[in-house]
Amino acid sequence: MKLSNSEYLVFLILLFIPLVCSGEGKDSLSMPGDTPVGLACESVTPHRAGKLSAGRGRERYEGRVQRYRNSVPSYSKIQMYGDMGLVSVGIGWDYGRRRQWETDVFIGIIPKYNSDNAKATLTLKQNYIPWSIRLNDSFSFEPLACGLYFNTVLDNNFWTREPSRYPSGYYGFSTRIRTHLFLGERITFEIPYEKRFFARAITAFYEISSCDLYLISAFTNRHLTPKDYLRLSFGLKFQIL
Amino acid sequence: MRATDIPTLLLLLFLTCSCSMIEVHPYDTVVSGEKDINKKNIARIEASLEGKSSFRFAVISDTQRWYDETEDAVKAINGRNDIDFVIHCGDQADFGLTDEFMLMRDILDRLNVPYVCTIGNHDCLGTGKDVFRELYGPTNFFFTVADMRFVCMNTNALEYDYSEPVPDFNFMQSQLDNMPDNVGRTVFIMHAAPGSDVFNNNVESVFEYYTTLFPGLQFYLYGHTHALTVEETSYNGVHYCRYQCPNIKKRVYLLFTVGENGYEYEAVEF
Repeated sequence: MKLSNSEYLVFLILLFIPLVCSGEGKDSLSMPGDTPVGLACESVTPHRAGKLSAGRGRERYEGRVQRYRNSVPSYSKIQMYGDMGLVSVGIGWDYGRRRQWETDVFIGIIPKYNSDNAKATLTLKQNYIPWSIRLNDSFSFEPLACGLYFNTVLDNNFWTREPSRYPSGYYGFSTRIRTHLFLGERITFEIPYEKRFFARAITAFYEISSCDLYLISAFTNRHLTPKDYLRLSFGLKFQIL
Repeated sequence: MRATDIPTLLLLLFLTCSCSMIEVHPYDTVVSGEKDINKKNIARIEASLEGKSSFRFAVISDTQRWYDETEDAVKAINGRNDIDFVIHCGDQADFGLTDEFMLMRDILDRLNVPYVCTIGNHDCLGTGKDVFRELYGPTNFFFTVADMRFVCMNTNALEYDYSEPVPDFNFMQSQLDNMPDNVGRTVFIMHAAPGSDVFNNNVESVFEYYTTLFPGLQFYLYGHTHALTVEETSYNGVHYCRYQCPNIKKRVYLLFTVGENGYEYEAVEF
């Protein structure tokens, strides 16, 4: 699989997400013995210069350990359809005070169908889940999950920027990268502690989405009905941490 | 209706809608419904006009993302009973998305008369070429009505980047080699005219020369630049016309009435 510059860029962004996310939430991840980095700094006094550098080194190291721990994905997901592929599998990170933010990375597959070859896709997805309603001891319901995702097709027939053979700005859009908006709902089952052999909780969700090109078509035509520009997808989330 | 019925009804509505809402990818090339349309419709055209010496056809072009206007054009053409078939000069899809082709086909399928489509440059984007091939068949094709041969060609060279010969001179040569004796006149249908930005202009005059070798070259018919133009020209001692059909947004279709000794052309607003 040949990667273009844009795909490398996507990978780079993905690599940096955990670092950005590490500052927030994830209380459950910190170990009881961990010293918060900020406190350690206060205890260093200027006249003990000899120990200062060693202390800073340790702090830097511990900070690094903390960031590294926080960068471990906290769940995995599997999603079907939704214009990101037949099946997409991914990992992600949740953060925020109530873990109301989720950032996922998926790799998906588009089978060959009537084209020359099957294609892989990459999806970067940002979710916002504002509410969670506890139904009973095991189940909770999230009445709204919304957000957006970017999908890219890894195939040479698709371009991010028009190839140089075209006059500049000839088509004015990218065939490779689609931007999708979605709304959905989810239901979460918390697995009893003694039965957790795979995950802490399982969430089933559905989403209704539309992509940039479908929305442009819908806005400019009365002919199109919601089924022409809205797309349905289903998925499962396995909460591990 | 009891209140408990409402969720059930909503669920049923949801399930019926959801089938067409399930999609792998906008460029997934999953097509349903009618396929191989050009072949089927050419058989219909040739059968219905067999033995006739005069006929009339309408031309539309560049219908991409103008579903409302295309629908109106179909209604306008269906509103009159004197048209024998319709030619679409390409660009059904704006982005090459699989569903764009199917939406457009479903509108064109409402025509009371058969239609044929040539491939446009927008139809080639992403996996568009594959979807066009699946729905309409080969991108170079021909049919004959009375003594008139319609040669329909893919001229979107820029989209093929030398992966296929565009325009395909082997196809033209095989046409010339196998030309039946009853063909007295020839018309060329394409999306992009020789000289336009997506044509392989290195062979512009070679293409024109080749077309003049065909029996009784009458005219070229194309779309692409979204403007109505009519041009009389001659090459290699052959006098012929070039008609450019405007995009459907202009709410105009071209009407050609072909008789035994000539043809008439008209631009019809709808």
